[in-house]
Amino acid sequence: MIVFRDVTKQYGGSEPVLDNVNFEIDKGAFVYLIGPTGSGKTTIFRLIIRDLLPSSGGINIGEWDLVNLPKSIIPTLRRKVGVIFQDLKLLMDRTVVENVMLPLQFSGTKEEEARKKAEEVLISVGLEGKIEKFPMQLSGGERQRVAIARALVFDPEVLLADEPTGNLDTQTSFQILDLLKSINKRGTTIFMATHNDRIIEKTSDRVIAIEHGKLIHDKKAAKKDSTEEKDDKKTKEAHETKTAGNPPAGEDDDKKKGSIKLESLAAKGDKANSK
Amino acid sequence: MHFDTVAKYIRRSPYQSLSAALIMSLTFFTITIFGILTIFSIRFIAYFESRPQLTVFFKDTATKADIDSMQKSLENTGKTSSVTYVSKEQALKIYKQQNKSDPLLLDLVTSDILPASIEIQALQAEDLSSLASVVQKSPLVEEVVFQKDIVDTLISWTNAARRVGIAIIAILTTVSVLVIITIIGIRITVRREEIEIMKLIGASNWFIRAPFLMEGAFYGLVGSLVGGLSAIGIFYYFQPAIEVFLKGIAIFPLNPLILLELLLIEIIIACSLGAFASYMAVLRYLK
Repeated sequence: MIVFRDVTKQYGGSEPVLDNVNFEIDKGAFVYLIGPTGSGKTTIFRLIIRDLLPSSGGINIGEWDLVNLPKSIIPTLRRKVGVIFQDLKLLMDRTVVENVMLPLQFSGTKEEEARKKAEEVLISVGLEGKIEKFPMQLSGGERQRVAIARALVFDPEVLLADEPTGNLDTQTSFQILDLLKSINKRGTTIFMATHNDRIIEKTSDRVIAIEHGKLIHDKKAAKKDSTEEKDDKKTKEAHETKTAGNPPAGEDDDKKKGSIKLESLAAKGDKANSK
Repeated sequence: MHFDTVAKYIRRSPYQSLSAALIMSLTFFTITIFGILTIFSIRFIAYFESRPQLTVFFKDTATKADIDSMQKSLENTGKTSSVTYVSKEQALKIYKQQNKSDPLLLDLVTSDILPASIEIQALQAEDLSSLASVVQKSPLVEEVVFQKDIVDTLISWTNAARRVGIAIIAILTTVSVLVIITIIGIRITVRREEIEIMKLIGASNWFIRAPFLMEGAFYGLVGSLVGGLSAIGIFYYFQPAIEVFLKGIAIFPLNPLILLELLLIEIIIACSLGAFASYMAVLRYLK
């Protein structure tokens, strides 16, 4: 699905931001990209949406060769690859639903239809009561959900999440992570940059580590056996019990709605998988 | 969708929008005025071109017999297509017809003070000089008027006026384009972040450019309507006075359809100009 072949990215004569990076991500995978700030994580994402071109090497997304992709196809690529930006990049003068329906309008979807679809996606990420609010009126976690909804509105094949838990408390971070997992269960490939060690410690998914622009570690996804799954469940339950007793102010409703919707998403995902 | 965006842009900075619309209005007011003047000048020249090419005015001492013999000698040259005699009485009749609305002018004039004349149309324009030389020698002739001279003078005047008009219009058009480029440029700069976000989430270049181009075209539309209709209104207000001033010269009536056509052409040009100016801004600021 995503292929990086000997990718180097250099600005001017400076040190390369990415140095001969190679990896492949399969369709439907959930992959973490970790590394310290400035290691090149965001550059990788910007290369994937053709916001940047590599100085050398090749990048493929599905059948698209990004290096030779005509400029006119870039908007189509960006509709196939949903992105949750580190700084969210929400339009503050538009309501939540207007933010989410915007990508649909790019593709010429009629306003009514776009609004309907946007509302559906917003409800699925647990924002049914916030549809007509402005981003400024939402909590950090809710804004993150708006960004996720916007990235999902096109049913993208790939979802890039650049530090989606970066500015959130632990509890909300895990809610967002759960939401991303639910989306992944529906078949969407997820590539998530993070430097949240707590998330990485517990994961059995593939982890690509990058430092100073070099790929230093690529831990393939572990095959989960039933014991591990039980352990995971226990860890999650422990986490939920721990956080439910002392929820951060202003996040209670968000959390409840998020949990309800996550379950519904998970159920949807299970149905899709069984088909 | 784009209409809403344009309306939002205009609402958020009304003074910028007003200045763009005003400069466009001024430009198209001037264009309409010069458009109407051009229609006038064409009709004015056509009127004089339709007049006899050569008019020979006789002194009062010339008798009808003298004039008849001169008319014959002119006809005998074989270079004329028509030679028409206008007596003092006929001249008075024409004068009365031309000034029927001004009794004061009619009271003072009698047939005695108007000269008899013959009006000559030549078969070929180049024969006019030789025909004139036939009559100019005669002591009975007071004056020979070449219509060509009048037309040439008129053409040179209207050409000069047209050149001045074109220069003024060119300057105003340039200023309009620059003002719109600046205003759209400011819009783009202010919304740079929003534009970047839209690009990153899959907006095509045209989706982003469309509201700016529409905004430019909108200023053109407003400018041409305000400017054009004001100039046409002023023209209709002053029409009676112009008619009196140009009495006898068949310029009026001016068919309103001609003015409507002029306005429609201006609207098309103005919208294109506005969109062009916006496109220039988009090229400059939206790379």
